[in-house]
Amino acid sequence: MENLANITLFILQGAVVTLKIYSITIIFSIPLGMLFAMGKLTKIPPLRWILEAYTWVFRGTPLLLQLLFVYFGLPYLGMELSREMAAYVTFVVNYAAYFTEIFRAGIQSVEKGQYEAAKALGMNFRMTMRRIIIPQAIKVILPPTGNEAVTLIKDTALASVIALAEILRNAKSMVSRNASIEGYIIAAILYLIMTFVIINIFKHIEKRFAYYQ
Amino acid sequence: MEEIIRVENLHKGFDTLKVLKGIDFTVKRGEIISVIGPSGSGKSTLLRCLNHLEVADKGSISFENNYIAKADATGKAIYKRNKEVIKICSNIGMVFQNFNLFPHKSVLGNIIEAPIMVKGKSKKEAVKSAENLLDKVGLKDKRDSYPYQLSGGQKQRVAIARALAMDPEIMLFDEPTSALDPELIGEVLQVIKNLAEERMTMLIVTHEMNFAREISDRIIFMDDGKIVVDGVPDDIFVNPEHPRIKTFLNKVL
Ligand SMILES: Nc1ncnc2c1ncn2[C@@H]1O[C@H](COP(=O)(O)OP(=O)(O)OP(=O)(O)O)[C@@H](O)[C@H]1O
Ligand SMILES: [Mg+2]
Repeated sequence: MENLANITLFILQGAVVTLKIYSITIIFSIPLGMLFAMGKLTKIPPLRWILEAYTWVFRGTPLLLQLLFVYFGLPYLGMELSREMAAYVTFVVNYAAYFTEIFRAGIQSVEKGQYEAAKALGMNFRMTMRRIIIPQAIKVILPPTGNEAVTLIKDTALASVIALAEILRNAKSMVSRNASIEGYIIAAILYLIMTFVIINIFKHIEKRFAYYQ
Repeated sequence: MEEIIRVENLHKGFDTLKVLKGIDFTVKRGEIISVIGPSGSGKSTLLRCLNHLEVADKGSISFENNYIAKADATGKAIYKRNKEVIKICSNIGMVFQNFNLFPHKSVLGNIIEAPIMVKGKSKKEAVKSAENLLDKVGLKDKRDSYPYQLSGGQKQRVAIARALAMDPEIMLFDEPTSALDPELIGEVLQVIKNLAEERMTMLIVTHEMNFAREISDRIIFMDDGKIVVDGVPDDIFVNPEHPRIKTFLNKVL
């Protein structure tokens, strides 16, 4: 029994690391994605091409490869990052690429007539985006954003390959030390609790936007 | 009477397609003008050039004797700074064929948005005038409804109220009843007729010939990117001299 408490405690320490990766990724990748989505929708060709290449590369290669590249690869190019930093950078840049595409599609889903009506009423571009377009885009953006937010919880486990002591890595070491399965079960329960919370937060937010069709 | 809009030698194309091929006309305060003509003749494009939803290629457009766009020596339309154009165009109200109400805002929210954001009116003031306008278009009880809860005719009446809330000097209507079921057309035309009685300056693109004939001071007949006739309704409906008008009227009447 005491042993089980120790295992749990050790894995919970990993959960702190997991949640840190999670929150830093969410906090930085969502605004970045917003910014990049705007960039993709501008009429400045070089900016659009750069962002196009960026989303293609980061959505088109495995996150696992990106992690290995940043932590083990970049030092060969003279850029050394700590384990934490390597994970933060990789997750933020990777998730920002997904959010860029989600936000771009959301903004583009708003009809042209909405921009025209706003313009005919004398609203400038900023007002139009802030008051008319983005509030409508959010409705479209929320469900896929929720999906990403859940996927990210599970993706944080990839950070174990660069030896970050997050949930999965700590669970694995408990399993091999004790030669018993509890570690994995506790890890699974922790992931389930976290995804359950995230899913319900998004359900709640989506409901708040259900007041119009 | 005072001139509100003057258009000179207006040209507009999309890629290789020439849509407007030299348009000249003026609108004076209080005038009610219908624009008619076959599909594809450029009626919508003309209206959309007036409030900068389309950018003209050549010619001049002025509003109350201020140029929005002025032709240079080669005829090319040179626009004022975007900020100024937006400001001028906020005096030009527009009603669209498919309403373009803001779906995430209530009826009241649709109407007060621009007066508050653009004109800097207080919310209280904006709500008060919105309520008067809703009364005017017969939708006082729909104040807190959302657009999806309204019929087409009701939506269009809200759209008219929304445009009027900016106290425009002129209203542009682009086929305001074309997207409506036949039984809902009357209620929208009635609202426009009421505006006509108040001598609101209006430029109306419509396929409702009887309506156009009844309410207009002038009728502009367009064909193939040009104004073929610009005259009183009788010039079109009683003695149409131009063969193209005859062909057109035979089709629509
Ligand atoms: N954004 C655009 N891009 C390309 N072509 C366009 C565009 N808008 C209009 N056109 C073309 O310009 C021509 C004139 O269109 P416009 O909508 O002004 O005609 P209209 O007189 O309003 O016709 P309708 O009675 O059918 O509304 C048409 O051939 C149309 O296909
Ligand atoms: Mg048209």
